[in-house]
Amino acid sequence: MTRLMVPHPGHFDALKEIIEVKEAEDLKEVEEVFMGGSPEVMGSGRGVLHAPLIEEIREQTEYAHQHGIKMNIAMNSTCTGGHHLTFEGYKMFEWYFGELNKAGVDGVIVAEPYLVELLRDFPMKTIVSVLSYVDAPQRAKFFEDLGADVITVDTNINRHFELLRGIVKAVNCDVRLIVNEGCLYRCPFRYFHYNLASHLSSLNQPRSPLFAPDFYFDKCINIRLRNPTQIIKSAWIRPEDIKEYEAIGIKCFKLSGRTKAVNWIIECMRSYSHRSFKGNLLEILDCPQMLRYMFYIENEKLEGSIEQWKSCKKVCNECGYCDALTKEVLTYLK
Amino acid sequence: MKEEIGEGRRKLEEELRNLVGNIFVPEAKVFGMVCGCVGFAADLRGLQSDDVAVFREKIGAILEEISKSVGVEPEFVYARKLPGSEEVVTLTARELCERCKREFAGSKASPRPDIVVLKKRKQKI
Repeated sequence: MTRLMVPHPGHFDALKEIIEVKEAEDLKEVEEVFMGGSPEVMGSGRGVLHAPLIEEIREQTEYAHQHGIKMNIAMNSTCTGGHHLTFEGYKMFEWYFGELNKAGVDGVIVAEPYLVELLRDFPMKTIVSVLSYVDAPQRAKFFEDLGADVITVDTNINRHFELLRGIVKAVNCDVRLIVNEGCLYRCPFRYFHYNLASHLSSLNQPRSPLFAPDFYFDKCINIRLRNPTQIIKSAWIRPEDIKEYEAIGIKCFKLSGRTKAVNWIIECMRSYSHRSFKGNLLEILDCPQMLRYMFYIENEKLEGSIEQWKSCKKVCNECGYCDALTKEVLTYLK
Repeated sequence: MKEEIGEGRRKLEEELRNLVGNIFVPEAKVFGMVCGCVGFAADLRGLQSDDVAVFREKIGAILEEISKSVGVEPEFVYARKLPGSEEVVTLTARELCERCKREFAGSKASPRPDIVVLKKRKQKI
């Protein structure tokens, strides 16, 4: 059966509300949630809005389990400044993973290969983050051999069906896709932005204040304002198109958006559970949410575009499909 | 309007100092957002979430009063914490657009873990 992992902002009331909706509306595919861990141990790929202590993680995990939901903790920093390879760092991670395990946590999401290996010593599932940039069967096999139980594939290949098929065949572990990320396709800032986010969400901060903390974000928005086709080329997957991925053997899907408001998360959870959304597609895309105020992309008009993307060679200058599609489906909001 | 914003900043700082102690309000502003929300926001230093929990009603009432004085209907009043810490860095009173009534202020839980809700007009949200 297909499984959906849903973001959890971190505060207990949010978890209760997400689970309440899941149960009231019988959203069976919602089986897991994920939230950030302690920034004192490690940053993560997103801003940290909450710093749960182990006791709080234990309480929330128990509550989730009572309702049949698995709890995963995101520790997917892409840069620790080498701390994990110091003796103190090793001891700290070993201790923290032990505490998460005792708290009943089901899985830990990590990007750093060393931590993937370290997690072998614990019964929790090792979930390789999208920030490990697994974009080929060889890399997927590499992470599986290190100990991955689940691999979250680099969103850059969400529309590269040959590679996805190859990864599914290459590994025995679960392969997971993030469905609602709206990042630039092949974004030139991606590695650097996540490295920055990893530091800013941890205690390992830059030594002096940044004069442009949103540099990459601002560049990303500007690029799309000037060239809205970039929004269409992003690797999002419409709720209606999940079935195309199920057909090639992918059964695990993840919603992005743990820094968003609870009700936004719930609306996304509904749309992807029902495999249907009517309206502006930008309403259900995480990152960058700001674009929904400038553009309207009529989701219904995108019906069938997946057929092109399934066989697309990604040589955009020779193709022009996304440029033409943009003219059909995207309007400017006044 | 200029006078009211300045007076609001001064009043907020004074009232918070009376309640809590050494609080600094470096900036206060009236804002309009792309979604349609308008609001009054004050950046501050020295306030912690425990203070907000203890003086929730009073701080909420002060914000409501200042908000009205600058022409903003205080439908949703909240404090924003520095993410992952207990430091409160902004107090905001917001007149909500239809989307934010549903998405930002429509959940039973606080919309995000860094937001502490002080007042919510239930009849309008």
